[in-house]
Amino acid sequence: MLEKITHILFSTKLLMPDLIFAGVFLIVVTIVAFTKKSTQSYNLFNTLTISVLISIGFVFYVFLGFMDQYFDAGIVLFHNLIYLDKLSIFFKILVTVSAIFVILHLWIVGYKVMAEFYAIFLAAILGLFVLSMTNHLLMLYVALEMVSICSYILVAINKSKANAEAGIKYLLTGATSSAVMLYGISLLYGMTGSLQLGSQEFATFLGQNPSWVANIAAFMTLGGLLFKLSAAPFHSWTPDVYEATPTPIVAFLSIAPKVGVIVVIIRFLSALSIDFRLIMSIIIIGSLLIGNLSALWQNNTKRMLGYSTIAHAGFMLVGLLAINEFGVQSAIFYVATYMFITLAAFVLVDLLALKTDSYELTSLQGLGQENIFLGLSAVVIMIALVGFPPTVGFTGKLLIFTALWDSYQSSNNQLLLIVLIISLLNTAISVFYYLKIPYFMIFKEAKVGAKRYQLGFFKKGLLFIFVFMIIYLFVKPDTLMKLIESL
Amino acid sequence: MNNILLSTLIFLPIGAAVLVLLLPNAYKDSFKWISILVSIINLLNIFSLYNSFDRQLTSFQFLEQYEWIRMGLGSLGILSIDYLLGVDGINMPMVLLSGIIFMAGSIASFNIEHRPKAYHALYLLLSGTVIGCFVALDFFLFFIFFEFMLLPMYFLIGIWGGERREYSAIKFFIYTFVGSVFILIVMIGLAMSVNDTFFSQELGTVVHTFDFRLLGDFKNYLHDSLLAPDKTQLILGVPARNFAFVLLLIGFGIKLPTVPLHTWLPDAHVEAPTPVSVILAGILLKIGAYGFIRIAYGFFPDIAYQCTYVVAGAGVISIVYGAFNALAQEDLKKMIAYSSVSHMGFVLLGLSAMTAEGVNGAIYQMFGHGILSALLFLIAGVIYDRTHNRLIENFRGLATKMPLFTVAVTIGFFGALGLPSLPGFIGEFFTLMGAFQSKVLPDWVAMIAMLGLVLSAGYFLWTLQRMFFGKFWANRNQEAHLKDLDLREIVLLYGLSVLAIIFGIFPNLIFDISGESVKLFLEKF
Repeated sequence: MLEKITHILFSTKLLMPDLIFAGVFLIVVTIVAFTKKSTQSYNLFNTLTISVLISIGFVFYVFLGFMDQYFDAGIVLFHNLIYLDKLSIFFKILVTVSAIFVILHLWIVGYKVMAEFYAIFLAAILGLFVLSMTNHLLMLYVALEMVSICSYILVAINKSKANAEAGIKYLLTGATSSAVMLYGISLLYGMTGSLQLGSQEFATFLGQNPSWVANIAAFMTLGGLLFKLSAAPFHSWTPDVYEATPTPIVAFLSIAPKVGVIVVIIRFLSALSIDFRLIMSIIIIGSLLIGNLSALWQNNTKRMLGYSTIAHAGFMLVGLLAINEFGVQSAIFYVATYMFITLAAFVLVDLLALKTDSYELTSLQGLGQENIFLGLSAVVIMIALVGFPPTVGFTGKLLIFTALWDSYQSSNNQLLLIVLIISLLNTAISVFYYLKIPYFMIFKEAKVGAKRYQLGFFKKGLLFIFVFMIIYLFVKPDTLMKLIESL
Repeated sequence: MNNILLSTLIFLPIGAAVLVLLLPNAYKDSFKWISILVSIINLLNIFSLYNSFDRQLTSFQFLEQYEWIRMGLGSLGILSIDYLLGVDGINMPMVLLSGIIFMAGSIASFNIEHRPKAYHALYLLLSGTVIGCFVALDFFLFFIFFEFMLLPMYFLIGIWGGERREYSAIKFFIYTFVGSVFILIVMIGLAMSVNDTFFSQELGTVVHTFDFRLLGDFKNYLHDSLLAPDKTQLILGVPARNFAFVLLLIGFGIKLPTVPLHTWLPDAHVEAPTPVSVILAGILLKIGAYGFIRIAYGFFPDIAYQCTYVVAGAGVISIVYGAFNALAQEDLKKMIAYSSVSHMGFVLLGLSAMTAEGVNGAIYQMFGHGILSALLFLIAGVIYDRTHNRLIENFRGLATKMPLFTVAVTIGFFGALGLPSLPGFIGEFFTLMGAFQSKVLPDWVAMIAMLGLVLSAGYFLWTLQRMFFGKFWANRNQEAHLKDLDLREIVLLYGLSVLAIIFGIFPNLIFDISGESVKLFLEKF
């Protein structure tokens, strides 16, 4: 008994930052309930959220530095329910950074959202923190549902008709994929008698089942994760939700849950003792082809970016398909850098829409000619999405393909070669639609009588930070890679 | 050891591009002067490089090496990427050519009125990256310059081009990008197969490197790697190295361009503004050929030996098909574009011969065709500037009204069709001689290629006769616009003509440089 209590106390101590964060969530909810809506209160909420996020990010950063001295590998907390290691702390930092940028985006572009947004936003982040620490299928389900439910509310929070429609679509597909996942988990539990991903019995008993049964169960378990990642075949919600939801929220949904989910997929795949590459390959090829080929025909920038995230989900998984240490590292690198690129893309799209009041591609005509900085940033961000030098998008793609090549070289599995070739060709397809944005901005003449579009200092500054990061990480990828290697 | 001359060649124009971008629009008349000034400085630097180039050395000279990226790859060792520049006999002529062509291009850009700031910034950016591509000795660095070059080119065609500029810009971009994706696969494969033995001992792990000097050497290949020469593992029944070679063939073949991958070229040329056409034909095509020599042949000599028929076949088909197409064109610029396809075929033929004459001739042909095609596109530009029309049948008897122009045209046309004492002759003569002497190619290959010579004489002389001789007449009452060359055009056309004659009479200016390196290059086969 005493042992249990000390263990719980010890666990609580280690999770102190997260618990305090949960406390802050409660405080924010209280404040929200008792404040009136006004411009001041928006500023208050923004300041509050950002300072909370910055401080928690800083705490995690310090923690990451200290971690080595006390624990070699991860630590098991709360009787196997929580598994804390450097990887999870790193992903928590990523989530925090993306959340900070989303709030900055919201603030600088001047969105007025309901005050409840901030509370739900923090709750979603808390869910992601937990998600990054799961090594237990039950805990995985709880954390994932927490994130999902918060996301459903975030999508529908504006109460307009389009929002409600997107919210319902999101909810329905989300609930379905959760159900599929739950079924998968129950199958896995039935086969192995364990919910603990890293455990000995999970690995041994899973391998004793017929391979196709185990494969299907694993695929179903992945379902809920793939839904969050917007990978095929659970991608169908993406374009509608992206089109209808306010851009900062989309920016958040397009990266933060993916960051959280990738770490779980990494843990899940490393725990699987079966050859799961065939299904992974199908998921990857499907996501790449569906994302890129559908994006070709889009006229709405946000919808286009929606399909592009489907394709990028495929690319993220490419690194994980190469089942080796470097593959995982390259996937983490890809996710971390894709975070900057996708957040930048949504900021860009929003800044453009400020001027034109529309997300249609044709409305972008001539905007790059009026404002050279905007035009240049559009070029940099879009070629980063393609994976074109000199941007970090290229480095990320180079690393995942290198990992895949090496995996092919050592295993001689033709499947990997096929995936490699298809994903490379998809890069070429994607050029076509990504370049449409700079194309309309720079090649097309502005409409007659259009006024010059001036950007304020903060808007320029925000975009500049992203563009700088995209190029800086290309020149010095080793700074980020060293950090990832140490995980 | 580190001499910063080569870096200056790259970063002076790029720095100037940033300067142009930052200057306010009030200075818009100074932009063209900046780009001319930068081209002059670059050309002078290149001349001094050319003078101090040691013709007896086979190794790389003016090396600059800095560590750029050292990245751990988990259990796979370390990925090492250097900022590595250098010149040898193969890329030195190309650097010289870039200096000359960018100089010509910047003078030709003098009349750009539409958004001069963006134009000159992109132009300078392009010139920096192109030179960077030629002097880079690290595959990663080469590839970055190779890819990045597309962007300024895309915008230059897409904004300042003719009526269908957007279509041809995107076509150019997609074609070349697909090609570079193929090259990327091979680049990854090579890096994963090659170990930097020197550093590897020092660091105790495998060091994957992109260094050109190491990629060409078989003893650096890891034994069990996919692209190792002694690897027996097959992909679909074919060794991986063959696949890699074919991918490179397609990748660089698009850039070169070789039939049947050439279809972007006429579109891009017809729509591009004159200076951009000059750059495109003068230098950008040579990057494809340079990639063939340095990468496809340099790193896969064993496969190149097996595939010599493929390369020679592509070359011969390009020569003949390009020539027949040129013969059929009604648009002067399109005719010149197809003649480029035809003449670049000789480069492939010379390479596939694998003799000293052939390879030296190929390098010379790259250089000579660079100067001549620049001249030819400027000629087409002169007519287009005056009348906004390029159809051959719309003009007759121009010689009477434009004598100075006609002299330049005659030099350009005769140079291209292979009159002795002009560069076209030397390049074609040596490549054909190489092909006839070659042990790997039968004589009939070279004989078919000879057909290209006859045809090129056909289309050039026929055009000359139709446009310049007879009674003066121009369609749609354009006669009044057809004035003779102004001073700027005289400098451009005659400057290039004089260079063509100099290099045609003294081909040793190039052969001296390339000779030793080619000797070393051929030892691999």
